Amino acid sequence: MAQQFNRSDLREELRRAPVEPLLPIEKKLIAWSLSIGLVLLFGLALLNHFVPATF
Amino acid sequence: MSDTTLNAVGAPGTATNTLINEDWLAVVLGLLIFVLALAALVHVDLIGWVVTTSVWGSLSQALKATSKDYASLGGIGALLATYVALTAVLSAGAAALKTDVKRFALAFTAVFWIAYASWIIGNFAHFAAVTPAEQQKFGIAWSLKLTNEGGYIFALIAGLIIANFFPRFAEAIKDAVRPELYIKVAIVILGGFFAVTAAGKLNLASSLILRGVAAIIEAYLIYWAVVYFVARKWFGFNREWAAPLASGISICGVSAAIAVGGAIRARPVVPVLVSSLVVIFAVVEVLILPFVAQAFLAHEPLVAGAWMGLAVKTDGAAVAAGGITESLILAKNAAEGVRYQPGWILGTAATIKVFIDIFIGIWAFVLGYIWTNHINVTSDGDKAKLREIWERFPKFIIGFVITFFVGLYLALGTPADIAKNVPAAIGEANTFRVIFFILTFFSIGVLSNFKMLWQEGFGKLAAVYVVSLFGFVIWVGLLISWLFFGGITPPLTS
Repeated sequence: MAQQFNRSDLREELRRAPVEPLLPIEKKLIAWSLSIGLVLLFGLALLNHFVPATF
Repeated sequence: MSDTTLNAVGAPGTATNTLINEDWLAVVLGLLIFVLALAALVHVDLIGWVVTTSVWGSLSQALKATSKDYASLGGIGALLATYVALTAVLSAGAAALKTDVKRFALAFTAVFWIAYASWIIGNFAHFAAVTPAEQQKFGIAWSLKLTNEGGYIFALIAGLIIANFFPRFAEAIKDAVRPELYIKVAIVILGGFFAVTAAGKLNLASSLILRGVAAIIEAYLIYWAVVYFVARKWFGFNREWAAPLASGISICGVSAAIAVGGAIRARPVVPVLVSSLVVIFAVVEVLILPFVAQAFLAHEPLVAGAWMGLAVKTDGAAVAAGGITESLILAKNAAEGVRYQPGWILGTAATIKVFIDIFIGIWAFVLGYIWTNHINVTSDGDKAKLREIWERFPKFIIGFVITFFVGLYLALGTPADIAKNVPAAIGEANTFRVIFFILTFFSIGVLSNFKMLWQEGFGKLAAVYVVSLFGFVIWVGLLISWLFFGGITPPLTS
């Protein structure tokens, strides 16, 4: 819990945190997120272009 | 960092043995105000006594009751009635949350009076008057032209002063410093107000809502991935810190950091510390971005609204920044003779934020599934479960949707003699929305102890935030807002 954490230890906590290299599953998560996101945004931008807002 | 910050931010996510959680309480309170306001449709004015503030040159002009039916109360009477009613209702809510009611009521008394006093000061003509006609009306030669909604900035600054110079007082009033509760109540009420605004231009409102989808993609798939990568690769954070940090910066501040922290089974302190950081930077954004928007996006009002929803983190700061931006941009355009209908910029910012919020539960589940099945696989079988999507769903959105569709039905689907009274009825509820915004701004200020940035170790967390926010989030948000909302303008007032 928050109350059990000595906040002055934050620096020490971060320093002691083990180095964790990016796992393949994390790389996949980042790559898939970005790829799907960019494709969807591109699709929406096209839709936005061809179906403009109606006033 | 102060205990005030940690406890207050952590509270919503940690309450377990209460009758109701803060999310549902916001729905109940917001709907209660909305329903009471609707009584005006059958000529029963139940909440017209709520106080409203006008721009003033003499203090006696500042306050009055919202409805003429309660004009006899006078400004001070309306203010007292508003204080008593809010204290009673919120104290009942505090009891439901198993908070000490007496302590809450005392703390809320301080919060209400300081926040509302700040709002009144912000409405002083030398601060708020915008047009030459207004300056002439008040007999003044100059004004800061902050508009009446600049009063939010005054409430925020009052909170900041308390947090940073009177930490013991901040601690004493912490029970009533609940920005998440206040903004959620405001958003529930805002649904009805936005419906009335949208009813006049349903096609435009539908177009804006459809464009809100872009915000979801941007926040979850673009922002999150980039910020997570930056935190892990460039700053060397481990997964337990990087995932809540990325969620706080990219999605929706406090709620997202806490939801994702829980989903990946991080220690509770991690999202709570991240949330504290989010609040601090949200304050910085609120103090800067609306004025930048006024300077550069005055002729693209809806780009400005969408930008606030995308770039400013935490629901409270984002929606309230939308309100300030609307006021500043409408004032600038009015000075040039262009009078846009109010409600569209704020409505765009709120819609973007609500759209993003809807998917917090799903995103937390996706991350929880990956973490518990592929990264931190434990022998006790603690896997992410589908029901967590509902558990982490921000329930106040249900209130927003209800008031939006009820408001839309009343405005468009009822006989003319009822429909014509809908804007006035919902306008009374909207006065409460403004008061909850004021309480939100003040509370955010009280939670923002800038001394924490100098605490050892915090600099590294803050550095990720600065790099991500100012190097990426703000600018990509602006680009996407421009792409999807550029060239769309609100209707003009008739």
